[in-house]
Amino acid sequence: MRTAEPPDPPAAELLAAIPQTDSALGSDPFAEDIEFDPFLARLDTLSAEATRADTLGRPVAGRPAQAPAVAGDGTPRPSRRRSATETRASRSAELPARLRRRRWATTPPLAEIELPDAQGWLDRLLGANERRRLAALSHLADGELRFDRYGFSPPTIKRVFPLFHALYRFYFRVQSEGHENIPTEGPAILAANHGGLLPFDGAMAVMDVLLNTDPPRLARAIVDRWAGTLPWVNVFYARVGQVIGTRENFSDLLQDGQLMLVFPEGIEAIRKTVTQRYRLQRFRVGFVEQALRAGAPIIPTAIVGSDDQSPILYDVKPIARRLGLPVAPITPTFPWLGPLGLLPYPVSFRIVYGEPLRFHERFGPEGADDTRLVRSISNSVRREVQQLLDRSRSR
Amino acid sequence: MNVLVTHADEPIGRRVVKTLFHDSTVGTILATGDGPPPRVFDRFLAGAEPKVRYARLDLSKHRPVSDLFHSGRFRSAEIDSVVHIPHHGAPADGSATILPGLPVRTAEARLVLQHCLEEPSLENLITIGSAFVYKLPPGNANRLDEDSDLDLDPNVTLEIRSWIDCDMIFHGEVHNDRLRVVLLRVPTVVSEGGYVYMNPSLVGRPGLRLRALGFDPICALVSDKDVARAVLAALTASKSGIYNIAGNEAVPLSVLTRWTQRSSLAFPSTLLRWIGAGTRRLGGDATASALDPDRLRYGFTLDTRRAERELGFRSGYRVGLARAGDGAQRLEAAPI
Repeated sequence: MRTAEPPDPPAAELLAAIPQTDSALGSDPFAEDIEFDPFLARLDTLSAEATRADTLGRPVAGRPAQAPAVAGDGTPRPSRRRSATETRASRSAELPARLRRRRWATTPPLAEIELPDAQGWLDRLLGANERRRLAALSHLADGELRFDRYGFSPPTIKRVFPLFHALYRFYFRVQSEGHENIPTEGPAILAANHGGLLPFDGAMAVMDVLLNTDPPRLARAIVDRWAGTLPWVNVFYARVGQVIGTRENFSDLLQDGQLMLVFPEGIEAIRKTVTQRYRLQRFRVGFVEQALRAGAPIIPTAIVGSDDQSPILYDVKPIARRLGLPVAPITPTFPWLGPLGLLPYPVSFRIVYGEPLRFHERFGPEGADDTRLVRSISNSVRREVQQLLDRSRSR
Repeated sequence: MNVLVTHADEPIGRRVVKTLFHDSTVGTILATGDGPPPRVFDRFLAGAEPKVRYARLDLSKHRPVSDLFHSGRFRSAEIDSVVHIPHHGAPADGSATILPGLPVRTAEARLVLQHCLEEPSLENLITIGSAFVYKLPPGNANRLDEDSDLDLDPNVTLEIRSWIDCDMIFHGEVHNDRLRVVLLRVPTVVSEGGYVYMNPSLVGRPGLRLRALGFDPICALVSDKDVARAVLAALTASKSGIYNIAGNEAVPLSVLTRWTQRSSLAFPSTLLRWIGAGTRRLGGDATASALDPDRLRYGFTLDTRRAERELGFRSGYRVGLARAGDGAQRLEAAPI
């Protein structure tokens, strides 16, 4: 017959059974007399000197008079140094006011923006309206560091603004309508068609939104990951507010209440040859998921002119694969004119913003997990953009 | 709550001890470090029964660590929480190997975790990790959350490798039933005086730094005061897990280099890769760590929503430029 084994003693009893000596095992690193530390000894000497100096009212050489941390009886004495709270408060007061202010993800209305003084030739080149709008953008990257967390830099956009403004007004002669459909605040997604070798359609859409909204809004365009690997291009995109199209980036910016510009056709859009002009490719679904999760309306946007700026006659896919490029185009001017052949033709752009599609109000954030629903919404958005394109082209 | 803080003599450790010292919920603090106690500890160590005790210790060796966890002071202080802060003040030492393939930082992490698991009185282990362990997707700045992939590329530099090893060592015990393990991943840490830590591209003393031509990655910043607040939040929270900790600010690497009194020279990425490989072959691991092509090209910012939700941590300091006494502008943190 087996006898029941006694239960294991609880941990507390085990601990109590361990002898509570100063050094249960080996040497105690906290023992006071473990070793003579010359550095500590020197500190003690300095402290004693400071005590003596304080008593005599004379400063120690090389150091201002300071009360010792410990009195003769061993009790701590109140320090004459500023307390941590005092130091923090005073340092905070020394910092510029802008540094302490809360960051705004949105811009103020134009009427509230004080027109900054013209400084330098850049400011003299721009009108008052443009300068006011650019000043509004500085609220997106407030503070002394002047960069937002995606690298957007208002001074950089101010530097390149005259060039893109000239392209907007004189080269592409952009006309637009439907700005009232762009929400003045909160998250929203502009879903547009895409075309051309270089993304001038995106640049013109960003300019158009910036110049025709009040409060001025910066459309944060989602760019392909491939662009992130390109030297200089990746830095330029980031400084003017464009972001790489990862799920986390998209979601974060929408949560921040920003306006996003997406090209749901993806990289397929720039592979379209001249025979497929203005025929939308299959839309991706990521932007729909994000719109549902963030409660953002989708604004279908048609950009007429993008597919005419550099029509592709033929895409040499084997060369593109070998060079790791998304497309190896043959256009009427490329490669015959070298890199100059990549420049867009001076076509006229027309941008039309459709009525906002508020799928999030009907399906809610949980709809984002339903793949069939998301695909169906994506197809609906594609139909809307296609209809908008067809209507705009027929005018 | 009684806490043991390792590497308390290094910048983040000093700040953590200072924060814990001023917190009323913390009783005794045992601090250890490689060197003598920092001067800021004079006030903490004063008195007959000071709240803080300091000991010099080599955490990479088994015997001293064992002595620490079995010492009379450790028992009498009834330590229930350990804050392990890996080497960060001198990254070159942290990634130096004590055995082939075993950096000091990794050896310390293993020993600390082993003793924390063996000590029944310990309830919490809070440790700091680097956010540079993530695999960086292409782009000037990308948002990364805690579930993002780690960079398990075998060609990663020794500095990053040691941080990844530490990360994985603690990650393995995050679901431990008895010991609550919290790992805080932090990006570039800005401390008082405008010094920066934890950024592999800015290790070592001020001087010339190489950077990738055509790239200028964004560096997420966090104040050391925020890191200390996060440690305190982790100590008082009830959840275990991995959390990103970061401030609201981010600056390009070139700007950060300039503001930390360094100069930089741009080279093509391919050339940097060759220089890095050559330097590593010649034994210059610390220099090679600063030439990690991916980290010189691609930047990141951190999604801190999980820490906000589960630890109740929200950045309380803004990092900005402030004019110092000598008239120079330096990075400084101010309360929001």
